[in-house]
Amino acid sequence: MGWIVFAIAAWGLGWGLNIWLARLPRNRATGLAVPVIFGLTLLLIWEGVVRGFGISPVLLPAPSAIAVRFAASTGILWEDFVQTVLKGALSGYVIGCGSAFVMAVIVDRFPFLQRGLLPVGNFVAALPIIGMAPILVMWFGFDWQSKAAVVVVMVFFPMLVNTVQGLQATDNMQRDLMRTYASGYWGTLRKLRLPAAMPFIFNGLKIGTTLALIGAIVAEFFGSPIRGMGFRISTSVGQLALDLVWAEIVVAAIVGSAFYGGVALLEKAVTFWHPSQRG
Amino acid sequence: MKTMVKTLGVAALTLWGGMAAAADEVTLQLKWVTQAQFAGYYVALDKGFYGEEGLDVTIKPGGPDIAPAQVIAGGGADVVLDWMPSALASREKGLPLVNIAQPFKSSGMMLTCRKDAGIASPADFAGKTLGVWFFGNEYPFLSWMSKLGLATDGSEGGVTVLKQGFNVDPILQGQAACVSTMTYNEYWQIIDAGLSPDDLVVFKYEDQGVATLEDGMYVLEENLNDPAFAEKMVKFVRASMKGWKYAEANPDEAAMIVLDNDASGAQTEMHQKRMMGEVAKLTAGSNGALDVADYERTVASLLSGGSDPVISKAPEGAWTHAITDKALN
Repeated sequence: MGWIVFAIAAWGLGWGLNIWLARLPRNRATGLAVPVIFGLTLLLIWEGVVRGFGISPVLLPAPSAIAVRFAASTGILWEDFVQTVLKGALSGYVIGCGSAFVMAVIVDRFPFLQRGLLPVGNFVAALPIIGMAPILVMWFGFDWQSKAAVVVVMVFFPMLVNTVQGLQATDNMQRDLMRTYASGYWGTLRKLRLPAAMPFIFNGLKIGTTLALIGAIVAEFFGSPIRGMGFRISTSVGQLALDLVWAEIVVAAIVGSAFYGGVALLEKAVTFWHPSQRG
Repeated sequence: MKTMVKTLGVAALTLWGGMAAAADEVTLQLKWVTQAQFAGYYVALDKGFYGEEGLDVTIKPGGPDIAPAQVIAGGGADVVLDWMPSALASREKGLPLVNIAQPFKSSGMMLTCRKDAGIASPADFAGKTLGVWFFGNEYPFLSWMSKLGLATDGSEGGVTVLKQGFNVDPILQGQAACVSTMTYNEYWQIIDAGLSPDDLVVFKYEDQGVATLEDGMYVLEENLNDPAFAEKMVKFVRASMKGWKYAEANPDEAAMIVLDNDASGAQTEMHQKRMMGEVAKLTAGSNGALDVADYERTVASLLSGGSDPVISKAPEGAWTHAITDKALN
């Protein structure tokens, strides 16, 4: 009973605090404090509800139990991170985005390819990952290579479409100006069209970060050496070690946010000239 | 007024009569997909053994990625079939499962290896890739590797473990030197796929001294304390064991009953008849009551897991004879 009261009190306190903070003039500190307090309140309510209602740890562990398990399993979590994120997701992301970029430039150079390749790419993108993953595991083996292949398939089409779009973003006047400067195709590409395409390219890259992580984790459900975040999540569910599952989820959330945030920071630096960055 | 009283009286009698005729509902969660491994329960359903006891039984098939312990934890079933290592590990994790019956006396688990991978005996396992199921089925394997002194984390001199799906592709495609198989199922899938018994070398867990008890019936401890539930389980166990003994005596008929109940349509008559024949070898020798010596052997095997034991201490209250005493006498 005491824990339920605690949960309700935490809810009231957090809510009140946030309302008060929201009414203050907006600055960096309040902007940061409000979401942090919101998150903390949610965690406290979770803890209070789980303990107050005596919810079984095999259904929903309390945040304190998850934190303890996280601290105790840093070795396993690091190993899984290396296998899934560094070996699987990142390599697939680099290969996928890189090849999509190259393909987009080729498609732009030779317009007849655009009419053939884009619809096929559209079709490949629509194939469900749950269906593709076992096939790719069979082709590329159980290790990180098949996970990278799944990520390539997932990331390729969004990146391709965005880059093609971006390369068409310059208007005739700008391209004419480059022509008057006697700039050839590759010069115009390097100096005008690619910089102008950067907002679109980064759009594709940011979409790719979330897809890459999802693809790598889900692909591991279908066969893996006994390492990796997807493997750990699915087998820990089978072993009823739900606290380890949640610890892996925490790692995935941190990694996903950091990956996306990193690309967004890079975008800020490269597309400083764009109205959306001048805020 | 008189008509009202008469109507209410008739209604009350009908309801009372209706309640008496209403059957007790039981939901059983299987450990795997519908197949002859669970013939006893399907026979009891189709032949009316459950009906005779006044039970309305729903059988839920399992499958890859369905852990029966999770299903019962979430309230999705009254009684589940599980292997003892998984049930004991779940008990230690905080899910109080209790064994109420043990139809399977012997273990059907084996490791099937390709001779051309250079394996002739367990001494050759080091440095090879071995396929294992997870979701509760990895415990006997981990216990065995621990007994052999082979590390399973991929370190030098140990074995590389592959998480097997629900087929035997890793051995067929050379991705693994060995795969986990059951005497009644996956072994025959390998034979059907074209490998001959001469190409394979088989290690039965029973022969290696690392066998653990397999399919048993488990319920939650708090439910057992309810006399109505316990009574329901007595009837369920009695009818199920009747189904098992019928299936052992009439394997072909049992296989056909299983096929009729297979909603997925994935099973074949030949495979099921063969499976029933093999499963009958495993259930023979048990009348449903748990043999405590077998239980002790399983616990000892799990505790001897070296650096990574499946359970850390001997379980208490993990089994009861209370149900089988009433059901089988």
